[in-house]
Formats: sequence, C-alpha cells, structure tokens
Amino acid sequence: MAFELFKHEGEVIEAAGSLLENPKASKAKILEQFAVLLKSYKKLFKESKRLVRMSDRNEAQLNKTAKSLDEKTQVLGALSDKLSKYLSPQVYESIFTGETAAEINTQRKKLTVFFSDIKDFTATTEGLQPEDLSFLLNDYLTKMSEIALKYGATIDKYIGDAILIFFGDPTTKGVQEDALACVQMAIEMQKRMVDLRAKWHEMGYERPFHVRIGINTGFCNVGNFGSAERMDYTIIGGEVNLAARLEGITEPDGVTIAYETYALVRDEIDAKPEKPIRVKGIQREVRPYAVQNVLAGGDDKKRFIRESDDGMRLFLDLAKMDRKQRNKTAKSLEKAAKKLRGA
Amino acid sequence: MENIKIEATDRSPEVDFDFANNTFVLRGESYPEDVTAFYGELIGNLESHLEALDGAEVQFTFELIYFNSSTAKVLMGLFDMLDEAAGDGLSVVISWIYDEEDDTMEELGEEFAEDLENATFNMKKMQT
Repeated sequence: MAFELFKHEGEVIEAAGSLLENPKASKAKILEQFAVLLKSYKKLFKESKRLVRMSDRNEAQLNKTAKSLDEKTQVLGALSDKLSKYLSPQVYESIFTGETAAEINTQRKKLTVFFSDIKDFTATTEGLQPEDLSFLLNDYLTKMSEIALKYGATIDKYIGDAILIFFGDPTTKGVQEDALACVQMAIEMQKRMVDLRAKWHEMGYERPFHVRIGINTGFCNVGNFGSAERMDYTIIGGEVNLAARLEGITEPDGVTIAYETYALVRDEIDAKPEKPIRVKGIQREVRPYAVQNVLAGGDDKKRFIRESDDGMRLFLDLAKMDRKQRNKTAKSLEKAAKKLRGA
Repeated sequence: MENIKIEATDRSPEVDFDFANNTFVLRGESYPEDVTAFYGELIGNLESHLEALDGAEVQFTFELIYFNSSTAKVLMGLFDMLDEAAGDGLSVVISWIYDEEDDTMEELGEEFAEDLENATFNMKKMQT
C-alpha cells in the first residue's frame, strides 16, 4: 500500500463507518469493535496532543529566534549607520549594494578632482582655543560638505583644513557634466564663505578664513588602496597632484581650473588664462585658468556694512534685506542718529 | 533490497538504510516541502523489508536536530511500525541520539518512546 501520512486515522474512520453500516451485528461484536475503535482513538488523541505540544514548542523557538534576529539586525543597522559617517555617502552606498567590493582593487577613470584649503590656516588659528578651533573647522567642513553632496560630489577626505573631492566615481553624469558640477560647486562654496566669514566675525572670531580652490580633470586611479586589513577608497595620480598644485597658486577666495577642465566648462564658466606652470609628475606644460567673478554680487565690501567704535557696533548684511527691510532699517538708523545728536 | 543512501539537504535528513545489515539511520534536520514525497518510498520499502524478515536484529537510529510536525507524524508511524515488528518476533533496537543541550529533542525522544511495548529503546547523547 502507498504511504499515507494519515493512514491510521483513515482506517479508524473507515472502521467506525463500517460499524454504523452494520446495525444487525450482535451486541458483543459491536462492543468488541467499539473497544478497538476506542483504543485507536486514544492513541490518535495522544499523538494529536504530542503534535500540538511540539508545534507550540517550535513556534516559541521560532519567535525567540526571530526576536534575536530583530535585535541583531537593529544592532547591525546602528553600527552600519555609524560606520557610514566615515565614508562618502556614494562609496558607502556602493559597498552596501554590493556594487563595490571591500577589497584592494582600482580602476582608471577620467575624473574631475577638487582640492581646497584655508590660506595661512595655522597662522590664522594660532591664537584660538582648541574648542574654538574645533568649532570653526567643523562648521567650515560641515557647510562645505553640504554643498559638495548637493552637487553629487564624492568627498574623499579631509586633511586638516584641506578637502579632497572628486566627481566621476562611483557614479558619473558624464565627464562634461561632472566638470561643470565641480566648478559650480566650487563657486558656491566661495560664495558661502562670505556668509560664514560674516557669521564667524559676529561671533567674535577676528581673523576670517579665506579658501583657495584648485580643480583639474584627467585620468586617475580610483578605488581601494592600502592593505586587506585597512583600506581607503581614494584617488591617486599625477592629475590629483595637479589639482593640489593649482590650489596652491590660487588667490584667496579664488578658483583655479586646469585647461582640461576649462575646455569642458567654457560655455558656462568665465575663466581667464594664467601663466603656464610645471608640475612634478605631469610631462605637459600646465596652463591654469582663474575663474572670474567668483563672488559676483556677493563680495564682502558691497554686501556688508560694518562699523565699530567705543560704545558702538554696527553690522548690516544687505543680501539678507529686501527693500522693505532696508527702508525700515534706514528709519531706525535715522532715529538713532537724531537721538545721538540731541543727547 | 538495494540499500538507500540519501545525503542531507537544508530541509531533509541524511538517510542511510542498509537492508543487508538491518541498520537504519535518519540524521540531521527534517522539514521537507512534501513529507509524503520524501518519506513515502522509504517507509514503504522499510515496511516490506520488515514483513519479510525472520528472526533478525534490526537497529534503527534517530539522530535528529530539528523536525517539523509533519515529520513528527511520520516518526510516530515509524515507531509504531518498528514496535509492531518487534511484537511479531524481530529483535528491534531503537536509538534516539540527541544533543546534550537540547532539552526539546530529549523530551521528544521520551514522548515517542512512551507507547513502545515490544521494541528496545535507548536514549544517547551525541558524541561531540
């Protein structure tokens, strides 16, 4: 007979059915068959109880395992979240989705590389308390990073006050779009620095930061460098050095781009050629281009009105005042002047 | 009858049915998608073999880590079959091997053995 899971149950039901279909059987015969049925039923009942108990135990164990898994998932999620802060969001995303493996591996790609630092950072921050230095630096890096991520940049690293950023990996919108995004990002960063200088000055930080930015487009090696135990997702190559070198020759608050970048953005960005330079590791002569009107409409002198003397401090940010506010402020100042003259 | 040797999978146990020596082993986890498909032929062959035996000693070893309710039903049927064979004159030794730290498997072995009237039953801890 073929195997059936509920063969015994089927047999008992069949036997019970037969008993009912044979009403003319003797009482003794009926009682005998009924006794057999009762014995079978008791056995099956015992099996049923056993199965229910087993099922309950399994379910309890499964729930316990599920709860433990949930807890472990939460811990891993929190840990992952913390670790993500140490990586550029795009690199983190790329590793998390499996697109990039956590192994020593690099590729050669055409990237636009951005390098910035704060002019005379050490001298500028010499007299600052460590807490103030930390606040300023972190505020600066936070604001610059916000702008970088807005433009889809990959933030490679912070090296003290320097920032290394690149476009084109792990995601790219095309070499030209990447180059344009990078230059536009740099311009926005310099404009933002105007706000930040004003803010920090109002907070009492006398010596403001002035940032220099260098940008170059070229083939770099990008990927995981280092050892299997400790690796860094970064870029290497002469073209990276060039971006740093361009930054070094830039005027404070300026943006200098290499010809290769200029060629990609010339339709959108106004830049003036500068004297050619030689860079170690780059065979060709490098012609830098200084981006023009970086702070157009936003430079300090036209935007802010500052006056201070004994018993008086005046700070006006004209960029933040509409016509109505300017009129209101002018009336307040006229009122103050009248009072001063009459006093 | 030809011996049956099936390797364990994620959901089904290792099966080692040696009909020549009358030693039978089920080892691992058992929650197959279709318990009838997995166990049907095995149980059928075993049943036919036991019916044809005369005065032999049969050893059946259960070394299971986890099994679902359907498998439990099969095991209960197996225990009945082996006990019936022992009642018909065969020497049947059932060994239930469990992990020392697995109270559930220990208890299940004891429960399955409750109804045995003829077969010999041994509980043994797994060798680590």
